[in-house]
Amino acid sequence: MIATIAAHQMLSLRRQRIFLAVLATLMAMTTLAGLIGWSSHQTIVRVYDEAVRMLGAQGKPAPPNPFVLKPTLSLLSNMAIYIPLIGALLALILGHLSLADDESNGVGRLIFSRQVSRRSYFFGKVAAAAVVLAVILLVSFLISSVSLVLVNGAAPTVTDFLRLAVFYVVSWLYLMLFALIGMVTVLLTRRRSLALLAALGVWLVLTFAMPQFTSGLRPTASLNPITDPVSTSQTFFKVTAKARPFSVSEQYKEVSARVLETGASESTSATVLRVVPIVVLLGVLMLMTARLVRRHDYSRSSADE
Amino acid sequence: MDAPAIEMNGIRHRYDTREVLCGIDLTIEAGEIFGFLGHNGAGKTTAINILTTLIVPSAGRARVCGHDVVESRRDVTRCIGYLPAEVRLYPHLTAAENLEFFAKLSGVAEPRRAVAETLDYLDCADLADQRLGSFSTGMRQRIGIAQAVLHRPRVLFLDEPTAGLDPLGVRQLRETILRLNEDLGMTVFMNTHLLSEVAKVCTTIGVLNHGSLIYKDSIEETTRRFPDEASLEDIYVLMEGAPA
Repeated sequence: MIATIAAHQMLSLRRQRIFLAVLATLMAMTTLAGLIGWSSHQTIVRVYDEAVRMLGAQGKPAPPNPFVLKPTLSLLSNMAIYIPLIGALLALILGHLSLADDESNGVGRLIFSRQVSRRSYFFGKVAAAAVVLAVILLVSFLISSVSLVLVNGAAPTVTDFLRLAVFYVVSWLYLMLFALIGMVTVLLTRRRSLALLAALGVWLVLTFAMPQFTSGLRPTASLNPITDPVSTSQTFFKVTAKARPFSVSEQYKEVSARVLETGASESTSATVLRVVPIVVLLGVLMLMTARLVRRHDYSRSSADE
Repeated sequence: MDAPAIEMNGIRHRYDTREVLCGIDLTIEAGEIFGFLGHNGAGKTTAINILTTLIVPSAGRARVCGHDVVESRRDVTRCIGYLPAEVRLYPHLTAAENLEFFAKLSGVAEPRRAVAETLDYLDCADLADQRLGSFSTGMRQRIGIAQAVLHRPRVLFLDEPTAGLDPLGVRQLRETILRLNEDLGMTVFMNTHLLSEVAKVCTTIGVLNHGSLIYKDSIEETTRRFPDEASLEDIYVLMEGAPA
């Protein structure tokens, strides 16, 4: 029964225009990340070659090629921004659509007047979201890999591929959070529009408000996984910085920065620890969704409200 | 002798402080077409929700095909079909895709074959590959009926099935109900306001008033008992105590 519900959900998502539109945007942005990397690489190399020629003409020694010193995966650093922005929105819509259709079309009544348990329904919906997000990220992984080959002119090393794979696994965990948030808001609010607004509100808080608060209001911290420029001395910032480990968005970006080698290096265990808040929140949301599905009144559709 | 298709004994249900069903006792024999009448908010849909296992009654016991709706939920769901009021199914999927999903949920062995046979039986095979979003109310209702009878249930629950249908749609629906009852021996439990249809289709009626069953008898006996009333509508108005 779980497989039936999951397969049906995947078919349903394939037919939803809004989902396809956001998916197309994410894929375009993934491709763009590669293109931007390639374009900036070409520009810098051109400038470097020109500088080398000019320095050579003046009889001065040329500095080393900057790309020799730069990690291969850092060219994809923009992905650590696109996934929390567009990827999370896509996951939110995916989670929302998974339950909202059954709610507003009155289909929930039909499903539960059959031999379907609440448990099968929950696992079917979560499995569908997990598979769909995994497939999307796999495609994104392939596009990123092709981009790297094009930019570098040579295939990345096995370590690079492994690092990229780890980045996408962490991204999958992160996006599952938002898929579940999309489901929870449908179960809590019943009204379809309100559910989507509530989910977007949570996304805004997690993606923008929390990082601003916990990073001592560094203006670019909500987007770029950059390290603290100076240690903050004010008490307020010291206090808010204590909450930083709980900001899943920041933890995700920090992990991404370490994996893609765009941030300051740290021990593997420290990086793994950063994933813990994401996994814990994922567990909490899973339990919450399961409980809400079990207690939800499917005898009413949102049209009755 | 077979167990009654539906039995309700002392069924009560309350939403917060409001009592919606106040101790319903009702027995419907297999093969009957039962019309459940009552004003808006009388508790008809709540009764269907209990019988289709969607909600648990606050008190009392209900059985469908001999199975308790609370203790043997899975057995009950195996022998019922249900069409709620204004169900829209999945508008972005085709009729066949919608039906195949419900066939699988109902445990039908060969879902595709069951879908094709059911659509054929209901004379709407031409709708199979069209998306539901483009359907009229009448077409959607036919697909709704199809999803309810895909697995050949013994009892069919219809909640306001004529809502939004034009006269032709109402006639088609009436013929479908009669065919399902005659060909497949389905017991039909129907909530409706359309008394003219009840008179043409139902074998038995029950009247629910503010959560209490105030009347239940066969159509024949009902018309015999109220000889001065011209139609079932007049009888209903008399029972409800409203001015004619």
